[in-house]
Amino acid sequence: MVNNTILVVGGGISGLTTAIEASEVGCEVILVEKNAYLGGKVTQINQYFPKLCPPNCGLEINFKRIKNNPKIKCYTMAEVENISGQEGDFDVTIKINPRYVNENCTACGKCAEACPVERSNDFNYGLDKTKAIYLPHEFAFPAKYVIDPKACAGSGCTKCADVCQYGAIEPAMEAKTVTIKVGSVVWATGWNPYDASKISCYGFGVYPNVISNVMMERMAAVNGPTKGKIVRPSDGKEIKNIAFIQCAGSRDENHIHACSSVCCMASLKQVTYVREQYPDAKIAVYYIDIRARGKHEDFYVKVQNEMNAVFIKGKAGEIKEDPATNDLIVIAEDQINQVLTEEKYDLVVLATGMQPATALSKVPAAMSYDEDGFLASDPASPGIYGAGCVSKPADVAAAVQDATAAALRAIQSVRRRNNG
Amino acid sequence: MAKKTGVFICSGCGIGESLDVDALVKVAAKECKAPVCKTNGFLCGKEGVELIKQDIAAGELDCVLVVGCSNRVNYEAFDFGPSVVVERVNIREQVAWSQQPNDEDTQAMAEDYIRMYMAKAKTVEAPEPYIAENLSKTIMVVGGGLAGMTAAIEAAKANYQVLLVEKEAALGGWLNKVYKLAPVKAPHTELEDTNLEARIAEINDNPNIKVYTSAVIEKTAGGPGLFDVTIKQNGNEIIERAGAIVLATGAVPYNPEKLGHLGFGMSPNVITQSMFEEIAKKGTITRPSDGKEVKKIAFIQCAGSRDQEHLPYCSAACCIESIKQSLYLKEQDPEAQAYVFYKDIRSSGQYEHFYKKAQMAGVMFIKGDVTDVSEGDEGTLVIEADDLLMGDKTMADEIDLIVLANGMVPTTAFEEGVYMGLGAVAAVTEGAGEAAASCDAPAVPPATIIKSNILNLQYRQGPELPDLKYGFPDSHYICFPYETRRTGIYAAGSVRRPMDMGQSVGDGVGAALKAIQCVELTEQGAAVHPRALDISFPDFQLTRCTQCKRCTDECPFGAINEDEKGNPLINPTRCRRCSTCMGACPERIISFKNYSVPMIGNMLKAFEVPEEDEEKPRILIFACENDAIPAIDMAGISRLQLNAWIRIIPVRCLGSLSLVWINDAMSRGVDGVLLLGCKHGDDYQCHFMKGSELAEIRLSKVSETLDRLGLESERVQARTVSIMDYEVIPKMLAEFMEKIEELGPNPMKGF
Amino acid sequence: MVDNKISSAPIKYDNTFAKEIYSLENGHYVKMCMQCGMCAVSCATRQIMDYSPRRLFNLIRAGKKEEFMRSNTMWMCTTCCMCKVRCPRGIPLVDVMHDLKALALKQGYVEYPQAAFYQAMWAEAFGRGRVFEGGIMARFYLKRGWNEIKKALGMKDLGMEMLKHGRMPIVPPRKIKGLKSLQQIIQRAQSLQEKEAK
Repeated sequence: MVNNTILVVGGGISGLTTAIEASEVGCEVILVEKNAYLGGKVTQINQYFPKLCPPNCGLEINFKRIKNNPKIKCYTMAEVENISGQEGDFDVTIKINPRYVNENCTACGKCAEACPVERSNDFNYGLDKTKAIYLPHEFAFPAKYVIDPKACAGSGCTKCADVCQYGAIEPAMEAKTVTIKVGSVVWATGWNPYDASKISCYGFGVYPNVISNVMMERMAAVNGPTKGKIVRPSDGKEIKNIAFIQCAGSRDENHIHACSSVCCMASLKQVTYVREQYPDAKIAVYYIDIRARGKHEDFYVKVQNEMNAVFIKGKAGEIKEDPATNDLIVIAEDQINQVLTEEKYDLVVLATGMQPATALSKVPAAMSYDEDGFLASDPASPGIYGAGCVSKPADVAAAVQDATAAALRAIQSVRRRNNG
Repeated sequence: MAKKTGVFICSGCGIGESLDVDALVKVAAKECKAPVCKTNGFLCGKEGVELIKQDIAAGELDCVLVVGCSNRVNYEAFDFGPSVVVERVNIREQVAWSQQPNDEDTQAMAEDYIRMYMAKAKTVEAPEPYIAENLSKTIMVVGGGLAGMTAAIEAAKANYQVLLVEKEAALGGWLNKVYKLAPVKAPHTELEDTNLEARIAEINDNPNIKVYTSAVIEKTAGGPGLFDVTIKQNGNEIIERAGAIVLATGAVPYNPEKLGHLGFGMSPNVITQSMFEEIAKKGTITRPSDGKEVKKIAFIQCAGSRDQEHLPYCSAACCIESIKQSLYLKEQDPEAQAYVFYKDIRSSGQYEHFYKKAQMAGVMFIKGDVTDVSEGDEGTLVIEADDLLMGDKTMADEIDLIVLANGMVPTTAFEEGVYMGLGAVAAVTEGAGEAAASCDAPAVPPATIIKSNILNLQYRQGPELPDLKYGFPDSHYICFPYETRRTGIYAAGSVRRPMDMGQSVGDGVGAALKAIQCVELTEQGAAVHPRALDISFPDFQLTRCTQCKRCTDECPFGAINEDEKGNPLINPTRCRRCSTCMGACPERIISFKNYSVPMIGNMLKAFEVPEEDEEKPRILIFACENDAIPAIDMAGISRLQLNAWIRIIPVRCLGSLSLVWINDAMSRGVDGVLLLGCKHGDDYQCHFMKGSELAEIRLSKVSETLDRLGLESERVQARTVSIMDYEVIPKMLAEFMEKIEELGPNPMKGF
Repeated sequence: MVDNKISSAPIKYDNTFAKEIYSLENGHYVKMCMQCGMCAVSCATRQIMDYSPRRLFNLIRAGKKEEFMRSNTMWMCTTCCMCKVRCPRGIPLVDVMHDLKALALKQGYVEYPQAAFYQAMWAEAFGRGRVFEGGIMARFYLKRGWNEIKKALGMKDLGMEMLKHGRMPIVPPRKIKGLKSLQQIIQRAQSLQEKEAK
């Protein structure tokens, strides 16, 4: 008996797309997401390039499509532990981690008001704090609170449970494992920002004013740690000089070998964030090649013409810090002018690249990978397909395109088995 | 029509602490005469839901008003099956969380919302799908190149019938010219065979695929599920019915005749990338002028592309293609020299490995601007350049062959062989101007359609897919790259946007999925994205139609044609349920079962407008349900205080705004009307392209009417709101309120 | 840094010299340079190098042999390895620099003092099997000529101090046992290296 259900692992923009697109063809879909909410990395992005529109807009449409569609079943806080069997008949073990908050939660927020302890907010890359019981972000879908067991004061404290009128707090909740049967699997666990602290000459993690591009997104976002104001993390001061450093980890034999394909456009976009807030700030972009492919070239031209930013052809080689002021000195070879430059900045943004999630956490099945950990396009296990940034470094449009294609592959897979 | 409406009021989440719930019950039960009205402290909990279920079972309720939280949350809890209409009255985010607690104005607001939704419930009906007859689920693919062949094969593999139409005698398109492909798989360093024969064999052997070669499309009539396509092949006309279409006609190289400044035409040894492919395919790479084996080659990147005089965009594939072609020569002769003059090497993503491969083979990459190409001795060529990284003028001589990376132009960008993609002007659809004049309304800027003679759509709005920019009929949306303005027709490959071979393959697969999805949803009478699964559809009361053509002009998806008499001819399977036509119709003859002009009209007539001396103004807000409404919800979730005089009505899209609503509101004494919709202009965010823009155009018309009535036109304004603007909304409302206070109360109050 | 400008005529690309470099043991790595400039910044002696390694590689690729040979770049390399560690293309710049130095010496481009020093050091090591500082200095100054010797005399106080503290022996050490064999090994290695490079 062939199972026609499609399992989609990863609830970011790629996984969501595969799940929704397949379900709108009429397939039963199970979507598994590790976080407490769907949407993945794009929920943390302030605006998409080149339209400068908010990701939550498209996510809202996608969530509406899920709400209206009984064919999609979502598990959040869940991870796929094991896949066995074969195309058309997979047994999949899913571990569902405890949220400690049950379906009764109405997201009224009383619990967080009462909670006495705080935790570093990973949604904002540690730039601020939440309570130990928290809503991951305003747009969180599902809109349910969650307890961070590492931060929670534990059994001695019952403050959240005391104020909850709906019996939603369940401190005794335990991880559980479910086994499901599916016909095909789409692996869409996405990417992680490359750990910039590994690029020792840039001082990320040591100098407070060296941040990564993903942190910049949070800072520019109205629902971010600074309510959208771009400031220096060390002292909250406004920005006068800012540098963007491209290929911070990408195109590098010591780090990610491939080009991450999105960072150029992301930095150009972030130039517009800075310019909007600081009409007089000095903005510099250090680059090797500006890769604004296709019609994105228009955006590059626009930024060059209108944003009054300086583009320096030369990979930034080193960042030094003035410990008294936390100002940063970027040393690079300006190759057009054939000089070594040492410029001072208030804030430096590293365009850290994309590392596929599969570089650190492999698919629990026989799959092949390229040298950076991206899933190779010829699946070693028929019936299991990659989608989005586990397959290649991709921007949102390309990831969605790939995820749409993956939906068809997954459908073909189950239908092929039906025929056979 | 909903006959029995039960009202269930939740007092949880702070609602009970902020509002007098008993008084709300009175409004529902006494004033609005709801047969059932109950309250619960935790309506979305098991007990609360059970309460509703019991009443549905006992009282045969066919409509339930859930008065509590926003419909963005707890949607599963309040699903009682298709026979029960559920209306969510948001008094949590929009009242209790964003208004002064225990204030009479807050209470009045909540009571008004109950009145408004009771009025809505009276009009709303459960929609029934439109199921067309003789629907086809066949996927037609236009263009037999890489993207098209891929779409055809992949759709067939999912068990769909496929029609593949190719204008040339053989399938393959661009692949026919190509010697080898750039790598599409790990380790991303090896040239790959085109496998063209195998691909064609796969198509010919697949009984699901029917191929028409040497065939063009004379016309495409109908809509999704019902496309009647007239194919002309060898002088014969064949009519085929298809369910959805994948447009994969690809791109052509930019006309090298225009690249004289780079030496094209000066010497036969200055050629284009496609000419080089043909040479490589033949065998030994030699000079066209004398057949001498090439020992030194130069590639000039961005020949035409990234050039405001030629193609302002980057053609995306040329860097990879030149890297590939330089390797052809290195394969033939490792000692041969290859130069690549570039602006930026755009070997994005995993193509970086391929770039390294060419470097390793000794290809020399020069970041520089070519300043001159001239002839040297014995048929050789000389390039002069500014080598930017050397910081100096440089030259390369004794070059046997110069290859211009001349970029790509989509096949949809040509009209009668002339490239129209650059700054193409909007083709004025026949009758549009006349229609506008007859209706005394400002003309709607039509979408640019280049008559490229590919699909020849029998659509009133024009014969091809609308152009996005430079002739590419691409989606405007980042998160929805397959969004199309012609339902059921999906562009794929380099016709959609500049892309390389690997991307074209993926794009063909994705477009095939969208086409399949469209035929499946059409079979159920349901809409495709963004209102996927919506089974409502517009009903036209044609007896009252005045043939003003507004609906046919304004439909963003070209769903409405005209019959011989000028009456609108709706193609329901093309409809996306945005309801722009409903807002456009001055005679108000278009309505959906669950969304109509009278329905909203009843809502806005249901709330109370206090007398002037009470000094309680009323502001009516029409808010886009996709972006503005969630933003308002977010304001509530963030506990931001909103103005107490507002009454909000969500609309499917501001494009559905009927001017009669504004007239009705003003004549009731409402002091101001605010439209909250999505950003328009070049970077529009409206999910239905032009909804908010159309609403504003309509507004400009209503302002004259208001002036005639002696009402200030500033009382009705439109604002752009994105989903992230929730912090801005309180200020926006306050500013609008200030303006209204300046103008004083609406003199129509009490009439 | 200095200006590349040698003459007003455009620089003509000529790959003859590049081919010569590519044939060195590590020379082919020069091809992999993507002109990012990381090396220029990483270098400990970047302030005194006339061409950054990136520019030096550019000279090689363009075929500017004379400018290349006259540059101090490879001689200023202290083999600190920072560039090698950081190069995003994984080019072992230190090894490349070593090959470039060896090539310059072989072809008689020895005007930089470092060149003489390397030669002196090498002659000592080869001739004795161990290094005698006095010997190196003697060879170095003889190679560099009268002007350098005058400079050395100016440092006599320092020399005396070093002698006093036993930092600089006067008497040369004995040759190692089996020096012949060592020399054979070295010669063999050199010929192998040359063979492999080709």
